Amino acid sequence: MKTTFKEENGNFVMYFEGRLDTAAAPNVEQEMKVLYESEGHDIILDCTQLDYISSSGLRLFLSLLKIAKPKGSHVFITGLNDDLRQVFAMTGFINLFEFK
Amino acid sequence: MNIPGFKQWFNSLQTRSALGIIILAGVLIEATSAVQYWYASKRLQEEVQQRAESELRIKNLEIQKVMIAVETAINNSAASVEELLSQPDSLYKIARRIVEQNNHIVGVGMLFKANYYPQKGRWYEPYVVQRNDGKIEQAQIGGPNHDYLNANWFKAAIAAERGYWSEPYYDEAGAMMMLSTYSTPIRNSQGETVGLLVADVPLDWLSEVINAQHIYSSSYDVLISRTGQIMVCPVESLVMQNCIEVAKTKFKDTTISNVNSQMMAMKSGKATVTDDQGEKKYIFYAPVGGDAGWSMAVVCSESEIYHGLRQLRFHLLVLMFIGLALLTYILIRTIQGFKRLQEVYAEKERIGCELHIASTIQMGMLPKTCPSTPERDDIDVFGQLTPAKEVGGDLYDYYIRDEKLFFCIGDVSGKGIPASLVMAVTRSLFRTISTHEALPDRIVTAINESMSETIESNMFVTLFVGVLDLPTGHLCYCNAGHNAPLLINENAEFLPVDNNIPIGIMADWKYSNQESLIGLDTTLFLYTDGLTEAERTDHTQFGIERVCEVIKNSDKHQSSKALVNHMSDAVNQFVGEADQSDDMTLLGVKYIKQHRATLFSESITLPNNVQEVPKLNEFVDKACEAVKLDMSTTMKLNLAIEEAVVNVMNYAYPAGTEGTVKIEAVANDVRLKFVITDKGTAFDPTAKKEVDTTLSAEERSIGGLGIHLVRQIMDSINYERVNGMNVLTLRKKL
Repeated sequence: MKTTFKEENGNFVMYFEGRLDTAAAPNVEQEMKVLYESEGHDIILDCTQLDYISSSGLRLFLSLLKIAKPKGSHVFITGLNDDLRQVFAMTGFINLFEFK
Repeated sequence: MNIPGFKQWFNSLQTRSALGIIILAGVLIEATSAVQYWYASKRLQEEVQQRAESELRIKNLEIQKVMIAVETAINNSAASVEELLSQPDSLYKIARRIVEQNNHIVGVGMLFKANYYPQKGRWYEPYVVQRNDGKIEQAQIGGPNHDYLNANWFKAAIAAERGYWSEPYYDEAGAMMMLSTYSTPIRNSQGETVGLLVADVPLDWLSEVINAQHIYSSSYDVLISRTGQIMVCPVESLVMQNCIEVAKTKFKDTTISNVNSQMMAMKSGKATVTDDQGEKKYIFYAPVGGDAGWSMAVVCSESEIYHGLRQLRFHLLVLMFIGLALLTYILIRTIQGFKRLQEVYAEKERIGCELHIASTIQMGMLPKTCPSTPERDDIDVFGQLTPAKEVGGDLYDYYIRDEKLFFCIGDVSGKGIPASLVMAVTRSLFRTISTHEALPDRIVTAINESMSETIESNMFVTLFVGVLDLPTGHLCYCNAGHNAPLLINENAEFLPVDNNIPIGIMADWKYSNQESLIGLDTTLFLYTDGLTEAERTDHTQFGIERVCEVIKNSDKHQSSKALVNHMSDAVNQFVGEADQSDDMTLLGVKYIKQHRATLFSESITLPNNVQEVPKLNEFVDKACEAVKLDMSTTMKLNLAIEEAVVNVMNYAYPAGTEGTVKIEAVANDVRLKFVITDKGTAFDPTAKKEVDTTLSAEERSIGGLGIHLVRQIMDSINYERVNGMNVLTLRKKL
């Protein structure tokens, strides 16, 4: 599991690559903390290369949303494949995030 | 009275027909009474006439009797006088004898024509009179002072040439009473009339006779002479006055004068007159007294004649009104009763309709498809509830959750609506509690706690709750005072049950749990006492012996539906024509497990460390590949198994303790099954409440997602605590 953080056009962008399962979650949680200081920026989570996500991963996404939203930042998710989109649908997360 | 209400009342069919009946009855009664009155008055008139005529006749006879006596005495004495004509002084003897012998005659005189006895002068009238004191005096009273020769009556009597009654007159000089005189001619030997033999007849007896008796108390008689002098009448002052004059001065109705003229002309007849007080009178008149030429009238007042009849008619009318009032009252009461009946009927209809709806609702609470598990090949359930009334107090329910069959059967004490309400509550509690509670004793205890607070003191529910683990056939059950179910395989026997009290009696009763392993092809037969206590008309009950008999004589391997129908037919045949007295419920639960060829069977044991998850992924991928699942499904199964295993790793073992989790994957041609086993503390992930996926980000909690994903992805999830191990089974159909 690999993540890459970039600042593009004033947005915080994080690229996810591989399997975000329970085993990987603690590391990813640390890596995502860079996104917490998001005042004045929108956050884009690029999942184009993401193969798998478990509830541990979904929790990280929800935690980020809960932190970013009060700061006025939008959290966008891009590049979600169909299978993962179904997982988002099953959990109701599809209603929580904005998709690009 | 408010007018629209009155109109509505008046226009109602019942009111109008009632009014019609009353009016008709009134008309009929009145018509009958009128006809009766008419006939009665006719008869009464005839009777009055008869009575009046009879009175006239009788009184005439009485008068005649006196008059004939006088006439006979005088006529007979005339011969003696004629013999002694030559001795005028001895005539007194004859006169004296007549007076002495006839008490109707007070005086007798012989009045001779002028100068008949030249020696006696122009007038000669020897006269004998009996005074009031009885003394008899005699004198010659003819003379210038008593010039009978010029008296009209004398002339008339002479001219009559026969017995002659004079007009009555009032003798003011002598007797001080009304008198009449009867005279008969005295003839000499040549047959010439020489004088008159005259008798003074007082008429005081007349008024006695006339006033003696009357046909009605207010009726009276009037007697007049031939010249119309009133001789007897109730008003003393009118006596001796001319009746015509009296009629003219006293009465406006000229009929009275006409009647008087008729009477004076010796006619008889009747007339109706109205007096000045406006009272109608009937007058019946006829001549009386023979030669005297008198006439008598009987006067009756119409009001008295008709008094009885009118009184009768009045009483009849009063009776009629009372009768009509009574009839009206009865009709009104009847109408009210009828309306009340209509209301009661409408109310009954409404209640019946509502009961029907309630029945539909109650039946709707029962599991709909029988069996409700068509997609399952390991269980066959069939239930049948026959309420004694529209709604009943029996219940049964079953459903499958997490590879477990939750089922119950119960009987609420009593029948009808109260029982049905308690039944609905019980069934609802069973459903609610069993969604997060898989142990029957806990389910029953929770239902009991809830029911004991609300249920009425005299009501209770006997309930059997069972939870059958479908993968293993492990049955947990709790019996709260219900009939022990029958376990049917090669033979039928009772499932042993503890003596727990029914639900709703003691809130803090601890219900015991019992367990049993149900073998394959075994049927659990549950029923309510409506089956065993079904009665024939002779009150013989069906009884448990007959239930066992039916089971013994039927195919042991038949379906639940066949068993229930078999039992139902048997009890119906037994009961026959008798009414069903209690609700009856039959429930068959048949456990069948299909044997299928295993295509894949492998297991992996992992320590309780989430870092081991990639190994789990490999294992799941391998299993999915073996049954040729696509990438997408494989990914989802990975997710579900990971979530389930991580859940066990996180919760079954307290933080810091070490343990293992065994994951077994078994596949046949219809499903892929994962069995996750651990030796940690008892933990049932299926008992967790579902997360709400519709909440907003702020409201969503971080946890609870894992088990939700497992439920979403897998076809079934089943938890069992077996031999101190948590056994979680997840299945996916292929």
